[in-house]
Amino acid sequence: MGRKEDNIKKATVVMHILPQIRNLCIAAHIDHGKTTLSDNLIAGAGMMSSDLAGAARVLDFDEQESARGITINAASASMVHAVEGTDYLINLIDTPGHVDFGGDVTRAMRAVDGCFILACAVEGPMPQTETVVRQALKEKVKPVLFINKVDRLINELQVTPEDMLKRFEETIAKVNRLIKQFAPEEFKKSWQVSVMDGTVAFGSAYHNWGITIPYMKKSGVSMTQIFEYCNNEDQKTLASKAPVHEVLLDMAVTKLPGPVQAQPYRIPNIWTGDLDSTIGKAMVSCDPDAELAMMITKIWMDPHAGEVAVGRIYSGSISQGESVYAIGASKPERVQQVSMMVGGDRITVPKVVAGNIAALTGIRSAAAGVTLSRDKDFTPFEAIRHYSDPVVTVAVEPKSMKDLPKFIDALRSLAKSDASLKVTTNQETGEALLAGMGELHLEITVYRIEEEQNIKVSVSPPIVVYREGLQGSNRGRAFEGKSPNRHNRFFFEVEPLTPEVVEALRSGEFKEGTVRPNDGKEVGNKFGALGMDKDLMRKIYAINGTNVLVNDTKGIQGLHETRELIIEAFNEVCVKGPIADEPVQGMFVRLTDAKLHEDAIHRGPAQTIPAVRNGLKGAMMRAKTIILEPMQKAFVSVPNDWLGQVTREVTNRRGIIEDMPSEGEVTTVIGVLPIAETFGFSNDIRAASQGRAVWNTENLGFEMVPPQLFDKVVAQIRTRKGLKPEPNSESYYSD
Amino acid sequence: MADDKKSGLALIGIGPGKVSSMTLEAVELARHADVRLYEAYTALWSEEALQELEQEIGSIQRVMRPTIEQPEDLLEMAKSQLVAVLVVGDPMQATTHIDLQLRAEHVGIPVHVVHGISITTLVPGATGVSNYKFGRSTTLTYPYGDWIATSPLEVMVQNYSQKLHTLVLFDLDPSGAGTGDQRPMQAPDAAESIAKMVAKYKQMELTPEQTEIVEEIDALEVVLCSDLGTDDQRLQTTTIENLGTKGSGRLNCMVLLANLSEIEREAVNRWK
Ligand SMILES: Nc1nc2c(ncn2[C@@H]2O[C@H](COP(=O)(O)OP(=O)(O)O)[C@@H](O)[C@H]2O)c(=O)[nH]1
Ligand SMILES: [Mg+2]
Repeated sequence: MGRKEDNIKKATVVMHILPQIRNLCIAAHIDHGKTTLSDNLIAGAGMMSSDLAGAARVLDFDEQESARGITINAASASMVHAVEGTDYLINLIDTPGHVDFGGDVTRAMRAVDGCFILACAVEGPMPQTETVVRQALKEKVKPVLFINKVDRLINELQVTPEDMLKRFEETIAKVNRLIKQFAPEEFKKSWQVSVMDGTVAFGSAYHNWGITIPYMKKSGVSMTQIFEYCNNEDQKTLASKAPVHEVLLDMAVTKLPGPVQAQPYRIPNIWTGDLDSTIGKAMVSCDPDAELAMMITKIWMDPHAGEVAVGRIYSGSISQGESVYAIGASKPERVQQVSMMVGGDRITVPKVVAGNIAALTGIRSAAAGVTLSRDKDFTPFEAIRHYSDPVVTVAVEPKSMKDLPKFIDALRSLAKSDASLKVTTNQETGEALLAGMGELHLEITVYRIEEEQNIKVSVSPPIVVYREGLQGSNRGRAFEGKSPNRHNRFFFEVEPLTPEVVEALRSGEFKEGTVRPNDGKEVGNKFGALGMDKDLMRKIYAINGTNVLVNDTKGIQGLHETRELIIEAFNEVCVKGPIADEPVQGMFVRLTDAKLHEDAIHRGPAQTIPAVRNGLKGAMMRAKTIILEPMQKAFVSVPNDWLGQVTREVTNRRGIIEDMPSEGEVTTVIGVLPIAETFGFSNDIRAASQGRAVWNTENLGFEMVPPQLFDKVVAQIRTRKGLKPEPNSESYYSD
Repeated sequence: MADDKKSGLALIGIGPGKVSSMTLEAVELARHADVRLYEAYTALWSEEALQELEQEIGSIQRVMRPTIEQPEDLLEMAKSQLVAVLVVGDPMQATTHIDLQLRAEHVGIPVHVVHGISITTLVPGATGVSNYKFGRSTTLTYPYGDWIATSPLEVMVQNYSQKLHTLVLFDLDPSGAGTGDQRPMQAPDAAESIAKMVAKYKQMELTPEQTEIVEEIDALEVVLCSDLGTDDQRLQTTTIENLGTKGSGRLNCMVLLANLSEIEREAVNRWK
């Protein structure tokens, strides 16, 4: 048995011995060496996947470069590491290297109990380091520090040993200040890192060596020797005496808590349910024999198995073939496969127990943030989110056509793992339209394509999706739409639906599409319960988005035959309204009368569809229309020193500040602003806070564009679409 | 006789497809007109026949549906000139032009109607079934995606249940817009159109009688009539089931037979 196979076998055994498990992540500023370090830990622990083993055996620089970045793409990787003859299972979770959009970073932090703060020896901790560390501390994740790229200090900057120690002291002091500032009260002291305690390591991830005081004692490697090896360009020997994976995994095992130690103080922090309940107690004590409680942190697309849900088990166990609820879903789902991520490989096992990271297939309702339990009413770790419609679109294409197949694959898996992203691809040109929740969301999606999938892309400026709506009604003043042959006429009255009805439609209480005549009664009654005339609503034709079409006519010969054509034209108008070809929302349409030619040949699609289209658009113009724009709520949390700059960024963008709760040294600015004004917000907020702001957004739906901006916004949308600046007037639709 | 007409609209039936079956009046009035518009969207003459017509009456201009259905320009012209609209068959039969006539008269433009031989008179005569036993006629339409008009089938079923024959005309305009690219329906197209209608019709609320007819529709007999009134005229008696396998002509229609008398039976058996 090879070393890797041996390790896989050990991993499946150690998984059950809770004190011998560590779940951790790496918190780092970009380019400080997170990928390099992850790869080397995994490779060093003998966990390189088999097809990479050849390249990894010698780990020469070039080969290493080509192998890097592959191992941890899969959200998590586990390795086995022995300390004093005892095997430990170390689960390394990937943290997204971007801002915490939609809670990705928070979620990854919730899956781990400890983290390596990785700081470059040359640059020291950077604002992004600060941000990630803040997030880790907020989630009660215990840190240790690794100062990386020490080889550069020695070889490039040629510092003296004294200088080097001084630099280390500065970095350590900075990190300790952060811990003091942002760690929970009870840990502000005990989590301080120090060289003497062995909670600080330094070394070179790239050259594979690292050192701590305890390891110096154990190996006999001294500071002087380190300088010698570096100066003599013999870091290989150094790496054999003090391999970075040994040193860091030793540090993880001895200095970071395991799940049994951590869950008592972490569960109250991440779960709002009753801690005295059976399941509450089970989670606090990380009981593997209790009921299941698991949180999905990431959905990952496996090239073979498809969607894989990766998450942390806080209590109980999960087994292949059993049924569990993804909280929020109405039916339980069967777990097809349970696996552990060992190194870069997904190893199928019969079951995974509390305290570990498991990968599951078969749970189709699983998404990042979703809680799994056997109890349908289990209090979820995160509130269940409803995805709203995408509001911003960008066009993206690969810079090099040779990346096209890879690009299309990447988009497919992104669309699958992110329910709030809509992707439309043109297979020939390779251009894809990404529609998402805001600039930040799309920025992160592009980041994922570029950084995680390694495909360089060009991106168009973002475009906002607007809505058209009604301000009034044309009740009693039906608008007549004529067919080109003038033998068919359709009369329409339109009005806004009530907010209750719109909400019911939006939340999916009604099935969208054509309503079969046989279902009319049931659907009509449902509308009746929402305060509408149920007898009228029984004659419903169709629902499109939040728009409803009913037939309010009586006894018109041949109307049933044109029903589907009327619906088709209605659908067309719902997607492209009269003002700016934008989708219509919240419209109630009554067909009040129709005059049809007796012969089907004269009332076919070419006649009926334009007649209905004109009738509907004319009715909307007669009723008076408005344009609505998507709004966003932004939660920007920032150290108080940068508060003023951040509030200014919000108010300068037609934004309104709703609240500014503060917690210690950090204030969260909660503002509401139109999405159209949020472009560039990411960059500006980053600049305004020198990279220290952490923020998140939530979409709030659509609000009317202020009347004084109406003409300008309409002209701008229409011009972009190649239409003349002003919309057609009512009379245009009666010709 | 034609000389006294200086301006106005002449709705001239030009019959089924050859100059020799036009009336003398039609030929003379058309020749006399200042402008000759040949309405090319409800039925068609062959190209050779049209050339012959032009030799006889002078050059003609083809017009499509919008010219006739939105006739402002046409009426304006007819105020100072004699505008002839040449209609295949009879202008007041299968496709009526009463709408155009009324609009013209409404604005004081004189309208002269000249009749021609219509498909509605040719069909009973050519097939040998009694013309007083026909119900409403209808036109089979092309499907539009998944959609198809079902009323042609409804008309056929209703006539059949009342023991009346149905004259079923075939569409020649796949776009339905009457603006060009005509493709007269052939027997297989008609069979497909009927099959689609039947499938949709069966989902509607039907009376037991309607259900019975539509269940047996494959077995119902039809006479497929191709290029009636031309030298290529052809008749074939078959069933709806076998309709799709039949060759047809340039312009086609059919009669759905109901409750044949003995003599009618003998007449249609000639085309089996
Ligand atoms: N000299 C030196 N370069 C390093 C070291 N660790 C990483 N690098 C280089 O720094 C760059 C960024 O490293 P990477 O692992 O991609 O950083 P990440 O952005 O944090 O994932 C790469 O070119 C690495 O080869 C190190 O210890 N010494
Ligand atoms: Mg990286």
